[in-house]
Amino acid sequence: MVNPYEVIPATIYDIVQESPMIRTLRLRPRDPVEFKTGQFIELSVPGIGEGPFTPSSSHFVSDVMDVTIMKTGFLTEYVHRTEPGEVVGLRGPFGSCYPLDKFAGRDLLILGGGCGLAPLRSLFLTLLHEVERYRSITFLVGAKSPKECIYKDETAGWRQYENVRFLRAVDEVPDGESWNEDVCLVTGLLEKIDIDPTDNPAVVCGPPVMMKFGTMDLLKIGYKPENLYLSMEKKMYCGFGQCRHCVMGEYYACKDGPVFTYDQIRNEEAIWD
Amino acid sequence: MEVLAGVEEFKSFITDLIDIKPRKYSEIIVPARAPDDPEGFYSLTSLRPGIEFQLECHRTADPVKVLFYLFRERVTGRDHPGGERLIAGVKACDIKGMQLLDRAMINDDFTDPAYSDWRSRTTIISSDCTTLHSTCHCNMTGGGPWSEAGFDLNLSRVGNEYLITSGSEKGEDLLGLVKDAVNCRNAGPADLEQVKAARVSLNAELEARNGRVGYADFIEGIRSMDSGGWQDASAGCVGCGACTNICPTCYCLLLNDESSEKEFIKERSYDSCQLAGYATVAGGGTPRPLMRDRFRNRYLCKLDLIKRNLQIFGCTGCGRCIEACVAGIDIRKVVTGTTGLEVPASGTGSEKTVFQGRGV
Repeated sequence: MVNPYEVIPATIYDIVQESPMIRTLRLRPRDPVEFKTGQFIELSVPGIGEGPFTPSSSHFVSDVMDVTIMKTGFLTEYVHRTEPGEVVGLRGPFGSCYPLDKFAGRDLLILGGGCGLAPLRSLFLTLLHEVERYRSITFLVGAKSPKECIYKDETAGWRQYENVRFLRAVDEVPDGESWNEDVCLVTGLLEKIDIDPTDNPAVVCGPPVMMKFGTMDLLKIGYKPENLYLSMEKKMYCGFGQCRHCVMGEYYACKDGPVFTYDQIRNEEAIWD
Repeated sequence: MEVLAGVEEFKSFITDLIDIKPRKYSEIIVPARAPDDPEGFYSLTSLRPGIEFQLECHRTADPVKVLFYLFRERVTGRDHPGGERLIAGVKACDIKGMQLLDRAMINDDFTDPAYSDWRSRTTIISSDCTTLHSTCHCNMTGGGPWSEAGFDLNLSRVGNEYLITSGSEKGEDLLGLVKDAVNCRNAGPADLEQVKAARVSLNAELEARNGRVGYADFIEGIRSMDSGGWQDASAGCVGCGACTNICPTCYCLLLNDESSEKEFIKERSYDSCQLAGYATVAGGGTPRPLMRDRFRNRYLCKLDLIKRNLQIFGCTGCGRCIEACVAGIDIRKVVTGTTGLEVPASGTGSEKTVFQGRGV
């Protein structure tokens, strides 16, 4: 049996500074890491520690991998000091993935904010690979300010598909920054769309407060709990249900998640904390 | 077929194993009392000539978990061609703890390389308890002070002899050595009756102390007790984590990165859900910010969640957490206190006893 503690070394071949606090590491693992979009990996900085992150690249690519990381704690502080050529470690992939088969032929809604865009970019790029499989894809994205928007260079390309709608909003436009798209909370963008919520799926990922209110708003519109897919963030320390840090009732966020339907976890405690 | 061997002869046999050439066991670990330890306090001790040890009484202060799931050990690139170990005098609570760890650590989805390594090269001699520690309460967790499985050999005291039961191939091998070295006689019905009587009698003593109730009766109470109840129950708890570290079934781990320039190295060490940072994610969010939340989590985990994950109670009733607690918190009182029910005294309460489904 494969030892899930073992680390695959990965060389950083490029770094994209997406925003002041967010950067994307482009990695070339020694061995290809085959994952399904929505799954996560444990990324370690040698001698410092490791943490769970979702790849932000398409799962149709396995020889290289993008991982988008926000500077928000001890480990990520070090991640933000790495430079091209350095080697980091990968373990995984772990956990559940987005059920693409259930999205096929549907009008899919994707709602994301902040660094929650990382797994959603992976999902989105994976969907674009077979874009005709889906009736339509609506991607709603929020950021605090124009400066905080990530994947800036790519979004123009994302708008060029017939059945894809990509809308962006910022919470506010500080003096000195320019913005010609929406200014509202990301949930405000829901007013601009017209999707029948009855049997269509929606995917939500972002900061806990955005996920909570995003989920509540989608339920209000008429989305069914079993059609709402959430990427939960808990302390996934080991990745395979052993360390118990991420336990949510009888579920492990790492093993049974990170992708849950709202229906699965609605009765568990403190899911948004 | 069970056999009997004299107590002193059997202990000499164990001691002599140190010197057998070629060496059968690289290490022999027994319960022994250090000269400065109080009466009735035994710890797992590496057997050396001259050490006074005993193979019965009650549980050791430290759980045998510490010999299989080390406080800190390397889990990547392991190269451990070590020899076979023998642990003797292991009690039922620890055997049950190992059964839980086996399920968690060696299953279809996952094998912990270090745990399975230690496990595969260890022979276990368990023994029926003959005395009780003040914190013992295995009767409340669906068990009793003896083992029926999970050992290689088991010892039950009968007069001046041990009735020896084999529970595995390793046990059969070792029993062969016993028979070569010690005068043994085959067990008769009267011997088996005596073993049964001793078990029933010690279990009755446990029930007299703890009541004839099981934790299973309180799961609903644990699930439904409100935050005020947990606030009261956790009063005094300082969140030190002693209870989880000493627990024979707790296995929450931290993965420490000890990588060098040459290679990635991971070591795992114990973590405790009682520590404030346990479930905290980057940015500071945590589902259990208060001590009472973390305190409650331990009870939920032991008696409800682990059962749902591994189909086995997370508490074996060894009572080490009670002994270790600086605040004197007693899991028996916390659990029975979750419902308004009076805990029935011996012989007056529910008829759900440990003897259900167990041949004694």
